[in-house]
Amino acid sequence: MTSRDNGHRDYTVLAVSLALAAIFVYAGIDKIGERQQFADNIAGFAILPTAFIDLFALTLPLFEIACGLLLLLPLTRRIGALAIALVSVMFFIALLSALLRGLTLDCGCFGVGAPSRSKMWLELGCRAVLFAGALFVYARARARCKRKEKKIWI
Amino acid sequence: MKGRDLLDAQALRDFGGVALLAIVSLVAALVMNRFSAHPLPIVYQTPEQRFDAELTTLVSAPPFKIAPASTVRLREFRSAVESKSALILDARPSVFFEQGHVPGALNLARDDFARDYRRLSPRLKAATNKPIIVYCSGGECHDSRLVANALLTLGFSDVRVYTGGWEEWQGAGLPTTVGAAQ
Repeated sequence: MTSRDNGHRDYTVLAVSLALAAIFVYAGIDKIGERQQFADNIAGFAILPTAFIDLFALTLPLFEIACGLLLLLPLTRRIGALAIALVSVMFFIALLSALLRGLTLDCGCFGVGAPSRSKMWLELGCRAVLFAGALFVYARARARCKRKEKKIWI
Repeated sequence: MKGRDLLDAQALRDFGGVALLAIVSLVAALVMNRFSAHPLPIVYQTPEQRFDAELTTLVSAPPFKIAPASTVRLREFRSAVESKSALILDARPSVFFEQGHVPGALNLARDDFARDYRRLSPRLKAATNKPIIVYCSGGECHDSRLVANALLTLGFSDVRVYTGGWEEWQGAGLPTTVGAAQ
């Protein structure tokens, strides 16, 4: 029997969840303070139609904060992790598309900064790491849920 | 088989949860924006559009809100035009400007302030060491005062109004020029 089977906490999942929660709550709060700038950053990607840019700029910060908070509770961790994985994939695709189109932007992912291609590559790497972290938490949370369901069936 | 069904159902529930989270975030964001001191418009405006809107607001103040800008009389205005010691701005609509204006004047129309300001911005900024004198039709026209106030708000320090305006200049038989704005 493993430590998890004994009901002990999985400290790796907890540590990754806490780190992701801190990053996303910080990113969300930071964007709320710079909503207009964030909207301009989104417009710079030239992906979203104009009608959706402000709605997206208004919604994403709250969504990120909610994701971070959901990660803190074991019951809601799965949804928080999945949402973060999806947001990370979305930013990854947007950044990669902008880089391939030769654009130099400020991603606006973590606060306002000067447009820079090297920073965009760095953000791309960050997004890949965040995606991996979120996927890890989601997979572990799902596995835990599956074990519990199996126990019920047995 | 039951395990696989459970996995599928679980994944669907999780994606549903994310979708619900997105909807709740959207509603909360709209409510927060509604009561924000500086709400974002629902449809995005580019920085240029926002600047235009801001400029248009600057010249749409009703006359009773206008701060008294310093004024010049015909003699002083004529001297400035002849010596080219000041930047002369015509605040009338372009259609009137084209029919006749003070020689050397630039058309910064109150009606198209945002567009004209952006067009003339390099020339205005290059002439910061010169005073700016704005005129309009004369008499009861407020366009020159509105434009002068907007320029003062935009950081131009020496902006004056020629109150006699086009009516007095033309009436005095002084030289005029016809043609479109440059």
